[in-house]
Amino acid sequence: MDIEGAPLPLLTRRIAEAPADFLAMPRIGAAGLVHVDAIARDVLSSRGIDVPITALAALSSPISPREHPRLALLICWLLVEPQLQWPNDPNALLALLLIRARELAVHLSAEAVIADDERREELARLTLMALGQRPAGESLVQARDRWLAVSTMERARLVDASRAAEQRARAIREALARKAAEESADKWSRE
Amino acid sequence: MQNPTHDDRHPGLTAHGAELLKRMREHPAAPLFRNHSGHRLLPMEVDAVRQHSERVRCADIEPRPHFAAWLPAFLKRVREQVPYWRLHAPGSDELGDWPTTSRANFAADIAAFVPDDLSLDRVINFRTTGSTGHPLLLPSHPVVAARYLSYHQRAYRRLGVELTAGRGQVGVLLIGWQQKCFTYTSVTPYRDDCGLAKINLHPVDWRHLSDRGAYIDALAPEVIAGDPLSLAVLLEIEFEHRPKILLSTSMQLLPGLRHALEARFKCVVADVYSLNEAGPIAAYENSVDGHMLLQPELVVEILDANNRPPGIGEAGDVVLTGGFNDYLPLVRYRTGDTATLERVGGEFVLRRLLGRQPVRIRRANGSFLNNIDITHALADLPIAQFSLHQRVDGDLDFTVQPGPGFDLDETIARLNRVLGSAKIRAQMLHKSEGKLWQYRSDIVDSLERSPVT
Repeated sequence: MDIEGAPLPLLTRRIAEAPADFLAMPRIGAAGLVHVDAIARDVLSSRGIDVPITALAALSSPISPREHPRLALLICWLLVEPQLQWPNDPNALLALLLIRARELAVHLSAEAVIADDERREELARLTLMALGQRPAGESLVQARDRWLAVSTMERARLVDASRAAEQRARAIREALARKAAEESADKWSRE
Repeated sequence: MQNPTHDDRHPGLTAHGAELLKRMREHPAAPLFRNHSGHRLLPMEVDAVRQHSERVRCADIEPRPHFAAWLPAFLKRVREQVPYWRLHAPGSDELGDWPTTSRANFAADIAAFVPDDLSLDRVINFRTTGSTGHPLLLPSHPVVAARYLSYHQRAYRRLGVELTAGRGQVGVLLIGWQQKCFTYTSVTPYRDDCGLAKINLHPVDWRHLSDRGAYIDALAPEVIAGDPLSLAVLLEIEFEHRPKILLSTSMQLLPGLRHALEARFKCVVADVYSLNEAGPIAAYENSVDGHMLLQPELVVEILDANNRPPGIGEAGDVVLTGGFNDYLPLVRYRTGDTATLERVGGEFVLRRLLGRQPVRIRRANGSFLNNIDITHALADLPIAQFSLHQRVDGDLDFTVQPGPGFDLDETIARLNRVLGSAKIRAQMLHKSEGKLWQYRSDIVDSLERSPVT
């Protein structure tokens, strides 16, 4: 998020206006229409990044979360926005398509992204962040705060962290209450 | 670990250690041992404890935050690993910007103060009632418990005493004087399995009162450790043995009792300021008329109620950061005790230390009761804190800040059971008025004379 990128409204509007082809069902095995892996390869190639199709196999894999290729397809649509600057590092783009999109797919559907203003903002911000950018006109702090406010993944992470913290606290209380703990251990004095 | 076995309590027990355990427990004059405990140290931990002891022996003591080289890494660690501090730590690494904590924070949720990256498999607890009367289980570990001796030894050396007890000898006799007391025998592996016995001098634990002296003579411990109440009882027991050192902890040791102990036992009397929350903090030295700090990795601040240093020469709350209990790292922990921190000859000394005063409460039949027994009698009641003040005529003023479900009649009935139908005036506080001075007595011999019940 170190550098300012494209304006947020430009990106959210672009997502809202995604053509029907980018919302079609991905081809997985014999079902579906769109070969997301091939589209992703073409998108990357359009800016001089050549990757073998096998590197994008997760976008056509039946074991990927169902929404993963669909969100990756929307991200491809976003990536071809002319005002969006790409970093030199191809790994950042691969991580966006293969890892970030997969994480998001656990919590979010492509339909929800199209239908909801905040989810469009989330996908736009996620894309910018993966490219090392923040929305034009925002400070680093504003961009971070806003990401925390809209991010489904962040919310889920907080819920998980909270649940883990509660489990840990319960484990500590139980450990302290055990008879073994009660017996204590030798000290050469008492308080 | 559920229901620990003998092997769990004494891993790696030597043959001479086992023999000593048997001798301490089965001596004809032995008291009733009500419990079991042990060092629980694994072999590699025994070495770690020895190394820790060596470090403590040689280390300089630097309690000022700006000179404590270890402090930045410590604050970074608690900010990352301790749930409470993940929420409450300021952005600053300046200790003065961090909020203070107190026993009330621990009481609200002790689990929030245990670092996330520590295993809970071998957690032990130290139960404490503190001076507010609010019972609390503090997390610890066998290695932490074993480290206590390192600080005691540092104090003893300064007083000119070097411990030597080892194989076949009893290193320490821990004495209590309570109606109900946790008692056991053990050995200390980092001192070649020398013996440790924790006994209760109260008559309830002995077949014959004369056994108390006979048992002490039989064990001939190098150190006898207790609180001022139990040490006062020790004065009344006939025995020949002279320990190398008497260690007083837990409560303030008054000069009269110190002199009496020195006169009777002709040995060094060490008065160590020690808290369950922090372990041994400082030891009294006559030459500086104050308590010399003992822990190399403990920042000590003296603060007023607004977290500022009090005026020059004025005492303030003793506030601690750091410590050696990995399971309870302290950050600006207000002990509730007050002192000044002064530099004497390049070393740091707590002066005018006011801690918990030992108090005996007179029962209706004229005998005396240790304040710990009163705390125990009320320990499981929903009480936030209480104070008990005995007037010259024996009447009692009982002030209580109740918790949810509090029942005053039940509380008074409990007090009457332990005190024997005393006249009690009760007052309820419905909001916190700060730390109550828990036990006071206007009866002259409540501190000085040993009781026999």
